[in-house]
Amino acid sequence: MGQTPTITIHVPGALRTYCGGAAHVSISAHTVRDVLDELQRSQSALYRNVCDETGKPRRHLNLFVNSDNVRDLDGVDTRLTSGDVLTILPAVSGG
Amino acid sequence: MADRVILTIGTKKGVFVADAAKQRRGFALRGPFGPGVPVYSTLIDTRGTPRLYASSCNPFFGMKVLRSTDMGKSFKETKSAPAFPREDGRALTNIWALEAGGGKKELWCGVEPASLFRSHDGGDSWEMVPGISNHEHARKWQPGNGGLCMHTIIRDGNRVHLGISTGGHYLSDDGGESFRASNQGVGAGFAPDPYPEYGQCVHKIARHDAAPGRLYMQNHGGWAEWTGPGGPRPDIGVLRSDDYGHSWRSITKGLPSDFGFPIVVHPHNADTVYVIPLEPATRTCPGGAPAVWRSESGGESWSRLARGLPKKQSYFTVLRDAMDIDRLKTPALYFGTTTGQLWIGREGGEQWDCLFDSLPPIHNVKVAVV
Repeated sequence: MGQTPTITIHVPGALRTYCGGAAHVSISAHTVRDVLDELQRSQSALYRNVCDETGKPRRHLNLFVNSDNVRDLDGVDTRLTSGDVLTILPAVSGG
Repeated sequence: MADRVILTIGTKKGVFVADAAKQRRGFALRGPFGPGVPVYSTLIDTRGTPRLYASSCNPFFGMKVLRSTDMGKSFKETKSAPAFPREDGRALTNIWALEAGGGKKELWCGVEPASLFRSHDGGDSWEMVPGISNHEHARKWQPGNGGLCMHTIIRDGNRVHLGISTGGHYLSDDGGESFRASNQGVGAGFAPDPYPEYGQCVHKIARHDAAPGRLYMQNHGGWAEWTGPGGPRPDIGVLRSDDYGHSWRSITKGLPSDFGFPIVVHPHNADTVYVIPLEPATRTCPGGAPAVWRSESGGESWSRLARGLPKKQSYFTVLRDAMDIDRLKTPALYFGTTTGQLWIGREGGEQWDCLFDSLPPIHNVKVAVV
């Protein structure tokens, strides 16, 4: 395994209060799972909003690597390359 | 000296707080706090300096507990919310009950999927109560329409009553270390056996502090017409126990329907109890004419209280935690509707007025005099 890619997490406005107001967080990780593990270690408040207590991403949240939903890729095992942007987005809803 | 009446109103779009002088003539409204996020449970904790709590059940970002130390002028998240241990495999999907525990900072919390949590520091940290959360029945309980929720927590010294939909009534005699199903006489409509050991769809349980052995239950009624296995099961909806919840008997005679959600006991008279009967099929007010029904005889007979309420064309629902009663000398009842109205029933429910007409759908109403 080569050098660990550095990627950027785009944090939605509703969650910025859990990471010191930051809109973006940089993390070095090979996969989405590694990103979540690193969030659990370094940004635990933000992590609890993204993953439930079983460790899975919350049901009504979508994670995109660049423009692709990880559900259409390899889920949390989706591999990352340097410069990727991981976007956290609530699912479409109304009412 | 307590001189303000304060209401917490949990809605689909956050929690509101309203308060008034003891005369209860006009209530000032603040909120929503936790805006846009459903609130299913609130607590006005009057131990020491009053604190207000609200669950904030965010379907996207998970469960939070909100706390106010300034009488509802502002709310902040507690340091953590209840969460299952990772190895448990379950994930919280809602918080249905917040109740004061022993001591000044202990809180109890009932959640979905039905489990119990306890905090010793005013909600900043939580631990699961395994005696019920890992009960041998727990993985067999089924969700009702509202989800698999633990919605009622009643403490009486070392005795703890829990209401679970659908699980039934569970009782602990050792402070919550262990629980057993205690549903003798509590009917169920969802199983061929009309009186199973557990699995009843209990909607709410209430009691009076001065009569701890007497409990009232609003159960899931509306099964009088059932013709399938087990036969009809009329009058299973409103029940009473006189032996600390070990056995229950029907007190529905005289009500227009045995279906409903909330049940509330008068603060100064254990024989006086209130329910809001609903049509079982629509879960709305019978005939479009809402009414609260009151018994002053422990359920032996009932009278209709509707002065000031709409007389027709009103089809709202009042959910399980959306009715409460204050503790003033002549108490007032309060209920909130799924259509966003908050009503006050002055003189113990004799005269009704609409306090707020257009709130979001109301899940929860609590009142205290502080």
